[in-house]
Amino acid sequence: MVTKNSADVVIVGTGVVGVVIAEQLLDAGHSVLMIEAGPRVTRAEVVENWRNAPLGVKGDTSVAYPSRPWAPHPMGNEKPEDAYLQLSGPDSYAQTFIRYAGGSTWHWAGTSWRLTPEDMRLKSLYGVGRDWAIDYDTLESYYVRTENKLGICGPSDRGLQWPQTGARSAPYPMPALPFSPGETRFTEIAKSLGYNNIPVAQARNSGMPYDGRPACCGNNNCVPVCPVAAKYDAETALHRLEKKGATLLVDSVVYKVETNAQNKIEAVSYYDQHKESHRITGKLFVLACNGLENPKLLLMSKDDRNPNGVANSSDQVGRNMMDHPQLTLTVTTKEPFWSGVGPVVNSGIMETSQGSFRSEHAGAYFRYNNFARNRFVTFAALKKGLVGKALDEEIRRMTACTADVVAAHEVLPDPNNRLTLSDKTDWLGLPKPHIHYDVGEYTRRSAEVYSLPIGKRIAEAMGATDVKISPKFNQSKHIMGGTIMGNEASNSVVDVDCRSHDHENLFIPGGGAMASTACGNSTITMVALAIKSADAIVEQMRGA
Amino acid sequence: MTRQPKDLNGTLMMSRRGILLGGATLFAGSIAASLCPTLALAAVDAGTQGQFMKLSNLLIQHQLNPAVGARIVDMASGEYKNLAQMLDAIIAIAEKKNAAQVEDFFADIPDGELKDFAHWVISAWYSGCSSEKRNAAVFTYEEALTFRTTSDVVTIPSYGLSGPNLWTRPNVPLSAPMPRF
Ligand SMILES: Cc1cc2nc3c(=O)[nH]c(=O)nc-3n(C[C@H](O)[C@H](O)[C@H](O)COP(=O)(O)OP(=O)(O)OC[C@H]3O[C@@H](n4cnc5c(N)ncnc54)[C@H](O)[C@@H]3O)c2cc1C
Ligand code: SF4
Repeated sequence: MVTKNSADVVIVGTGVVGVVIAEQLLDAGHSVLMIEAGPRVTRAEVVENWRNAPLGVKGDTSVAYPSRPWAPHPMGNEKPEDAYLQLSGPDSYAQTFIRYAGGSTWHWAGTSWRLTPEDMRLKSLYGVGRDWAIDYDTLESYYVRTENKLGICGPSDRGLQWPQTGARSAPYPMPALPFSPGETRFTEIAKSLGYNNIPVAQARNSGMPYDGRPACCGNNNCVPVCPVAAKYDAETALHRLEKKGATLLVDSVVYKVETNAQNKIEAVSYYDQHKESHRITGKLFVLACNGLENPKLLLMSKDDRNPNGVANSSDQVGRNMMDHPQLTLTVTTKEPFWSGVGPVVNSGIMETSQGSFRSEHAGAYFRYNNFARNRFVTFAALKKGLVGKALDEEIRRMTACTADVVAAHEVLPDPNNRLTLSDKTDWLGLPKPHIHYDVGEYTRRSAEVYSLPIGKRIAEAMGATDVKISPKFNQSKHIMGGTIMGNEASNSVVDVDCRSHDHENLFIPGGGAMASTACGNSTITMVALAIKSADAIVEQMRGA
Repeated sequence: MTRQPKDLNGTLMMSRRGILLGGATLFAGSIAASLCPTLALAAVDAGTQGQFMKLSNLLIQHQLNPAVGARIVDMASGEYKNLAQMLDAIIAIAEKKNAAQVEDFFADIPDGELKDFAHWVISAWYSGCSSEKRNAAVFTYEEALTFRTTSDVVTIPSYGLSGPNLWTRPNVPLSAPMPRF
């Protein structure tokens, strides 16, 4: 039975990880209560926020999602001293994510690369990082279920699918989206260098409606919001969950996970937006607050039985924070590429992420960003002081003949890349997260000897007259590692089902569990792990 | 059906925006207002508005929407104390040259306040904003002229211009004619 204060299963967070688990449990007949820190808003409101934002900040993915005082998330306009994320270390871990009902898939691009079998065996194959506690074959059926659940389209030609190693037991539910003229040209250029620029598997409806959502019609606005919900985002599932009986509490920030004498989870407590505290009990608890908020919450919940924090007997909670550090090459070309036709990311060179070189340095994945470029070039053209026809022609030229090619790298799990609780507090008085981060030699070396040299060759083949390379690594917003998976309770936080080693009725699925990053965007893997967790939860509840 | 770029100003698109605006909540409204603090003022007389559109049409040889112009001049009246004189001065320079287009007189505008203002007016129409900054006032998004220069090819993000899987087409050469707008 579900009440406002109790349910069979209590899920904290309504992002994609939370909602896929919720749906499976509801379908299995369990009562589900979801607690969400942020507000619930309409798509129309987000789209209007975006359209009303000044042209110069339209590249800021958070601009359409002002954070609520009680549920802060990183915003582009923060001063470092007021910032929600407190950062230190040689590299920045300035992630963005959204604390709204529906979570960060509101503004994801939908790119969905599976891991390869090799990505999950870095230690045994290349002597670096960690091996996963499960293998690709175990994950494969969960990938298929994820592709069907989210509506991930992709090519049917085996030669164009990713990964090339490892089996694929079922086709994508929809065909690949077609390439724009710029992507077609980029693909030809990559081919001339011996690289295959293949269609991205993406959570976007290709040529047909799917899951009650319309076909993608090329609005080129997937980041920061698809105006028609042709791209999957978790918000699109919330009404369905409610129809199936889920209770959803919004504007409710969970700040404590409570254990009982058996060291099982007994309850969670949350603050509403009036700073009133409430307590929710349940039989089983799922933390789905994302790879950064989950470790923060666990550390905040320390008690006498768990002096390092809940689920943290290994001292690994908050360690091994990972992402895909990326470098962008902004290329000016003679011939037009015309980014901004079709979806914002539609192809990628993945094969450069694999190889025996991984014993020495990281691999990299290259993508041609297909964002319409007016927002990036208009002010630069205006600053040239041109008027009349010359101004029109310059804006048109710069829009057509500039392009971003991004190299996204893998990083290794490093316990020193660590999230801790800052002594700075937020509006509710809760500690802000502090993250110390260094991408590490493995990744830096890749940029020096591997990824940037390849990127420069690609730029040259594109006919670049100018190439600007980002001076430092930027974040990909794929938050991984902070509640890492493993077989040993001594050096990992969760088991192969994302169940806490320390608390049998606590599941912590999602990016935090990932033991390696590979190079491709990782939400598909987070969701595959969530579905695996849901199977285990259904099994466990049957026994309960 | 494939909707072609010439539909950009079409009724379908405008009505969708109308619906969205109608559905926008108080909260979205307050964001817009806080981003555009000066838009609340509407203190510009019809004469100044007329002069502003006259100047804008001298600086920019495209169709300009007077509703957008009204928002720009509203902001300008708060920012530039001597707005009316500047409008008159630049218009006089153009008239002296019998200018039919901006190229005919722009070089004659003296550097300094007048030239800077002329650039600001052009920038406002092309970017739809008062500046590049985060706190810029927004006069328009989808009618910003930057998007008109590429409207035969590039999507105005959030306003699709083709249809499901219909964006494959030959690459348009730079030598293709500029869209008429
Ligand atoms: C701009 C951008 C583009 C991206 N593009 C891609 C892409 O193309 N491909 C890809 O694979 N990934 C992409 N990502 C990453 C992707 O968005 C995340 O991996 C994904 O959303 C993670 O899902 P999640 O459910 O774990 O967390 P989230 O989606 O972040 O959801 C977590 C939920 O928990 C809630 N919550 C947090 N703390 C609390 C609390 N204390 N109490 C209650 N509720 C709480 C939040 O409000 C939120 O609703 C992108 C991210 C960004 C920012
Ligand atoms: S291209 Fe447009 S319709 Fe397609 S997913 Fe992106 S925003 Fe949605």
